[in-house]
Amino acid sequence: MNKPVNQHNLEPDYNRPLFEVPIDIKRKIINILTLLYGSEASRRIYPELERIMKVYYAYKCEDLIEWEKSFDKSEMFSQEDVILITYGDIIQKNSRKPLKVLADFCRDYFSNSFNTIHILPFFPYSSDRGFSVKDFEEVDHNLGTWSDIEDIGIDFKLMFDGVFNHISAKSKWFQEFLNGNPDYKNFFIVLSTNEMVSEDHLKLIVRPRTSPLFTEFQTIEGPKLVWTTFSPDQVDLNFHNPKVLVKMIDIFLTYVRRGADMIRLDAVTYLWEELGTDCVHLKQTHAIIKLFRVILDAVAPYVALITETNVPHEQNIQYFGNGYDEAQMVYNFALPPLVYHSFVTGRTNKLTKWAKTIKRVSEQATYFNFLDSHDGIGLLPVKGLLDNDEMDFLVYQTLERGGYISYRTESDGSESPYELNITWYSAINGSDESGDDQGRRVKRYIASRAIALFFMGVPGVYFHGLIGSKNDAEAVLKEKNTRSINREVIDGQTLKEKLEDKSSISAQIVDNLNELIGIRKNETFFHPNAHQYVYEISEKLFAFVRKPDDSDEFVFCVINVTGDAEVFKMPDELTGKTKIFYELVSKRSMDLEKNNEIEIGGYGIMLMKSIKKSA
Amino acid sequence: MAFDVSYALDRTVAVIEIPERLDAGCSNELKDKINEIVNESIYNIVINLSNTNFIDSSGLGALVSKISVCKANGGDIKLAAPGKRVFEILQITHLDKVLNYYHDLEEAINSFATG
Repeated sequence: MNKPVNQHNLEPDYNRPLFEVPIDIKRKIINILTLLYGSEASRRIYPELERIMKVYYAYKCEDLIEWEKSFDKSEMFSQEDVILITYGDIIQKNSRKPLKVLADFCRDYFSNSFNTIHILPFFPYSSDRGFSVKDFEEVDHNLGTWSDIEDIGIDFKLMFDGVFNHISAKSKWFQEFLNGNPDYKNFFIVLSTNEMVSEDHLKLIVRPRTSPLFTEFQTIEGPKLVWTTFSPDQVDLNFHNPKVLVKMIDIFLTYVRRGADMIRLDAVTYLWEELGTDCVHLKQTHAIIKLFRVILDAVAPYVALITETNVPHEQNIQYFGNGYDEAQMVYNFALPPLVYHSFVTGRTNKLTKWAKTIKRVSEQATYFNFLDSHDGIGLLPVKGLLDNDEMDFLVYQTLERGGYISYRTESDGSESPYELNITWYSAINGSDESGDDQGRRVKRYIASRAIALFFMGVPGVYFHGLIGSKNDAEAVLKEKNTRSINREVIDGQTLKEKLEDKSSISAQIVDNLNELIGIRKNETFFHPNAHQYVYEISEKLFAFVRKPDDSDEFVFCVINVTGDAEVFKMPDELTGKTKIFYELVSKRSMDLEKNNEIEIGGYGIMLMKSIKKSA
Repeated sequence: MAFDVSYALDRTVAVIEIPERLDAGCSNELKDKINEIVNESIYNIVINLSNTNFIDSSGLGALVSKISVCKANGGDIKLAAPGKRVFEILQITHLDKVLNYYHDLEEAINSFATG
């Protein structure tokens, strides 16, 4: 049964029976609150959370409640899930509201391939292109309205950002704090100017930026130092204060009511601060994610949590919890730098070694396989997977390809590369394209994207990756932000012309990606949680099998990361039951009985589906 | 526009003089010049910015166009005497963290001798 179109009423309906919190849910919530705030406080806080859940439930349409009864959490994701990551105002056309323009483009050009749109923060903001939110519950009027967001939700699933770690310094909440309003007194982490944190404590704290951890603000009570992990304009919220947690849960369920099918927890690594620790991945942070999950399981089980934690791979996957109690999707942060490394070196050994460790998490959870996003290519996630020389090599390659580097401060005060700021197209093809013809550049680019499209998990493509945008290096100088290299606002008419000119690089990339996504969507072999086995068949090739449960059939996926043709043999264990294959990209049959040697062209993609022998 | 190149420390270091403006009009030529130097197996390069007061993004790209080759061969690209305006651009793009810079040309050249 399809999810109903009408999911939430405009107003809560209290004529219906109220939501009854199941006892096991109540117990789980109280346990989490106890871990965070102690048992006495937890019993004081719980009734407010229960009230918020009841209010949310009263908004739900009967159709949605009915549909949920047959909803199977193991069907949360399917091979049809492909996510387009975009800013709400990435396309400008005349004086139309950007969300309406985006909706038209997505429907006209991308609805056959993408079924989910991740609209990056669309709230009023003061900096960081939306990630310093001034009001969590409003849509930026420069983009459109809630009605425009809901309109996109008619044809696509929606992913919203929960930017819950911090709030804009220009927000009402923070301004009221400066004004001395007692309601906001403990909303932020504050030190008086004469009470500095010890150097030892500061050294322990893991930083994603080089900006100062504390920013001094003038308040009605004089100067105060306030915790600002990301920038002076992004003030960390104080989750030690249960009022903050309760408020954020209320906002979280507002997003569900407004149509979110997935909620991305931005920068969630840094949610809970505790002096004397590194202030990342703390058990309280995991507990808060578990709380979000318990509440979703209770009142909106079809909504997925996705954690954005740009950290070493081993720490990143901890956000799955036990596979059932934290995020349903985790950004697969190691994938982009490893794919990039494979293409610039022409060797897949590092990617292959890591990919062998990627196993199915649970039937309810999977990886979010992205290569590009509004941010850069993170280097922390490959700490331990690439050595320092290999990471330096990526840094220098990025510079040569017209990109820039973002840095962070290490515990000893030194600065080290944190992220590579470059469009995926320029990363793969370089900024100097004089040596290659367009066909070869498109082929190389599509080969890189194919890895993420067929790898275990749900794939995502950033808008600029979808249309093959090159670096916008001038924007970096203009906006004084290295991330601006991949955030260009596109003129709608120009984009339309590019997409309709079949000889343009954008149209060729979109067409090729649409074709590959079409293959993915039609084959259960590419279900996000179909099994995956990675093979070493050649240094130039990345090879893996996708195979659903309870099936002898499989697809052997091979991607050539070099421009040279390569001959390989399919591993013997894969040809035991059949030697007949159907290659899904070229749409041709292959009989390996006569010749087990297979040639793959430069930057080739082969998806060899096993064909059962007829009885 | 021709970029003047001189050599120092027994031709182990190449010094490229950059004009007042380094922009799209001459950045490809600078790339070609650096390429020529690298093809001569000289991987220690000093970019003299003492006369430069404007760099755009294509100019910045040219400065680092062969950095991986230089680094891979034990060399480096170093900047000499960047002015205030140029240095601000290096800071915005974080190239000040990648490229070593020196207040004067002699210091930049000699840094290759001292390692």
